[in-house]
Amino acid sequence: MIELGFLSESEQELILEVLRRDEELRLAEEQRVRKLKSELLEVKRKGAKRGSGKYSERTCARCLEPLSRLAAFSSQCMMCHHDVCPDCRTALTNNSWLCCVCFKESDLKKRTGDWFYDQRVNRFSAAPGHDLVRVSLKKKPSSNKRETAGEVLLKTNSKPPNPVPMPRQKNVMNKCHKPQNSGSTISRESFGSRDEVWSKPTRSDTESAENASIASCKTETESGRVTPDQQRKENRSDRSSPAVSRVSSLTVPVKASIIPDESSQPEVKASSEVKPVCPSPELEVDRLFKKSVKRAPKNPESVSTLDLRYKSESSMGARSRSVPGLDLQEDEEEEEEDIDSLVNFHKTSMASSTSSLQSLRSTAGSLMSIYSEAGDFDSVDVSGDVVFTLSYDEHTQSLHVLIKECHKLAYGDVSRQICNPYVKCYLLPDKSRQSKRKTSIKRHTIDPVYNETLKYSIGRSQLSTRSVLISVWHHGRLSRNAFLGEVEVPLDSRDLDSTNEDQATLMARAASAVPASAFAQDKGELVICLKYVTPKSPPAVKRKGKKAVPEEGGELHILIKEAKSLTAMKSGGTSDSFVKGYLYPITGKSTKRKTPVVKKNLNPHYDHTFVYKDVALEQLRAMCVELTVWDREAMLNNEFLGGVRLSSGKGTVKIGKEEVELDSVGEEVSLWQKMMQYPDSWAEGTLPLRSSMGKAKAK
Amino acid sequence: MFTAAGTMTDGDYDYLIKLLALGDSGVGKTTFLYRYTDNKFNPKFITTVGIDFREKRVVYTASNPNGTTTGKTFKVHLQLWDTAGQERFRSLTTAFFRDAMGFLLMFDLTSQQSFLNVRNWMSQLQANAYCENPDIVLVGNKADLADQREVQEKQAKELADKYGIPYFETSAATGAEVDKAVITLLDLVMKRMEQCVDKPPAEPANGNGAAKLGDAPPNEKKCAC
Repeated sequence: MIELGFLSESEQELILEVLRRDEELRLAEEQRVRKLKSELLEVKRKGAKRGSGKYSERTCARCLEPLSRLAAFSSQCMMCHHDVCPDCRTALTNNSWLCCVCFKESDLKKRTGDWFYDQRVNRFSAAPGHDLVRVSLKKKPSSNKRETAGEVLLKTNSKPPNPVPMPRQKNVMNKCHKPQNSGSTISRESFGSRDEVWSKPTRSDTESAENASIASCKTETESGRVTPDQQRKENRSDRSSPAVSRVSSLTVPVKASIIPDESSQPEVKASSEVKPVCPSPELEVDRLFKKSVKRAPKNPESVSTLDLRYKSESSMGARSRSVPGLDLQEDEEEEEEDIDSLVNFHKTSMASSTSSLQSLRSTAGSLMSIYSEAGDFDSVDVSGDVVFTLSYDEHTQSLHVLIKECHKLAYGDVSRQICNPYVKCYLLPDKSRQSKRKTSIKRHTIDPVYNETLKYSIGRSQLSTRSVLISVWHHGRLSRNAFLGEVEVPLDSRDLDSTNEDQATLMARAASAVPASAFAQDKGELVICLKYVTPKSPPAVKRKGKKAVPEEGGELHILIKEAKSLTAMKSGGTSDSFVKGYLYPITGKSTKRKTPVVKKNLNPHYDHTFVYKDVALEQLRAMCVELTVWDREAMLNNEFLGGVRLSSGKGTVKIGKEEVELDSVGEEVSLWQKMMQYPDSWAEGTLPLRSSMGKAKAK
Repeated sequence: MFTAAGTMTDGDYDYLIKLLALGDSGVGKTTFLYRYTDNKFNPKFITTVGIDFREKRVVYTASNPNGTTTGKTFKVHLQLWDTAGQERFRSLTTAFFRDAMGFLLMFDLTSQQSFLNVRNWMSQLQANAYCENPDIVLVGNKADLADQREVQEKQAKELADKYGIPYFETSAATGAEVDKAVITLLDLVMKRMEQCVDKPPAEPANGNGAAKLGDAPPNEKKCAC
């Protein structure tokens, strides 16, 4: 906290004036930064290759032009590892290069000053007082890493001063009675001294002279600032007068990003959260981690629990699992994401949906494919092709995707040699439900014939930025659906007036093969802080002659601050989102954590902390945290909005029954490392959301 | 490498770089900055109330690690924070340390005491700046007052070397070395920025010319991002 109470009003006014000038500059800067960021989005949008699509390896990832054969080597961008043609590269100073998107990204980090703010945030988030409870109590979305002291001061001081006398003022009062000019050399001796040197004896101009010169100084300097001191005299008299109340005591939270601004926040919320701790969260945590140390009750808001509220809110009764015999996998407790239980609801909604397709009479099981974005599907070796026609109907202003047939598909159920294929289509970049179209399911065939037309109402001009993603799925009635292959067709260079038939070879999912490409689609960002809390050394009591209790593990705290630019899933362009977290491998009962739902917001602030107890720092090296953002649908299954996977990026981890590669990249890795490197301090990062959580099986 | 740029149109620049001058009261921080931004000298001593800042636009020419220029130029908007040296304002001024990307640590060549206090300012920086080893330039001001000199160049140079930071003897009165000191600092900041962003995240970036504070732990990364 900075106290400005010791300043006279005129001094405060001077400082405020400086801060206002600073604000002008800051606003101009903010505008500039916003513009830069939108430029990046533009470049990203142009960058053509997406995670979901498979492209010929010999094309440039940015412009999709074929790559020359000679460029076989060193045509990969160092950062995203896409092959890029020379035209889409930007040279760096050290003779290397990056692709235009990656270059723009790192250039932006410099130009916006993010390199600085990112670094700073990691230092000051470790400040004392930045404890867990405070963080989660924070209501104001002031978690702006770019916030400056000046900004905070200005904000605080624009409010009417709070006339509570501060104890420190006594000091000030005493101080100002001290002789100012004599003995200054002595007072300069020690840096920490409270005494002050007003001016050096050698150059001490008289006060009057200074005052007289002030006007001229001001005119001389115009643009620059001279710090006038005509107030000095009055200041002194002010302060030596016993009128304490005149010395207003503005207090300024320097670390404003973490300390709730009590003066400006009505107590309503705070008090509601400080109410007596209900026992359930503690119980929950204890159940999950039997060994965990009993701690003083924490604020319930700060500990993630199984949120019972959801159940009452969302009439879980109606969503109970009504489909017996379905393979529920290991996700038994996934009420929200449990597709099987939602089948009936989905059916009704699909029937009434505005989609023009008769083929929407899809059967229940095909819903499984919804979770293809979340990587939740079986996959088989892809084979065969799909025959389709793309055309644009001017009359109805719609794009027609005619799915004719498929040839020689792989068996969805390899062991039983069964395949019930259907075709699903998205008009990218929209991967939401609104963009999904499906054909009917053909039974027991690997050469299905559909002749079904999937339609999208869309203006022709918009098509150039879109592409059609056609995927083929096996409908597993009693098991998960299997992915049979896909093909992505960019529309920018396509002749939509002819009704030429296309026969495209089905490709395996790019997402699982090239994890980095899961980022190619802009799904927004997630702002989180990680902290490893080192175990408190057990109290030095050795009871009953036993050796000291084996040291209890530390804790991993994950503060979910906010998400930015999420994909809109609901009408009105919003989403009701929440974040779910898992810590893998799951050793105890469950590591699932959820934040409350933030409604109607594409930039939601969760400010919720997940706590994992009994975790040793060493263990974390081989662990992995998955955070996924979901759009909550009261009556339907939730929609996947994006996710991040935090880990060291090396080795494998067991997720469910599979050994999966830790494919974290970039900031996902660096944040994890920072957390391990600086225990007991928050590491904050803004992570791009993956459009797919597809996992790469360890070889 | 740097030349003054044209008019300051709002937002029409490539980088906003925030520097901050600190040091004992009366060493000449305000006049130093005034000389730098306006190329004028004000001999009056007017104590700074808390904080203040000045602005200047310069053109920065990027250079390769080996010193050759790449020919790329950028418009840099400098925000130069001026702080009160007086103890009375300490809590306020140190709060602004965290917002600066580089520091001009100044002392008065005619005051041995202001030089001795450099050590204290360094630890203030270490505690309050955005990272533990920010970019700093040590500036001995009032070089024109040769007859009153109390701090010898060798002495100051040694201290600067100990911290691994550049040292300049400037005179706000004559303008000597003023530009050079600021420009050197700006260059350090720009280089750090490059390193921060272009180096792969996991790799510690230990560059040359890095300002390191005396007792920073040896495994300290230069850039934590």
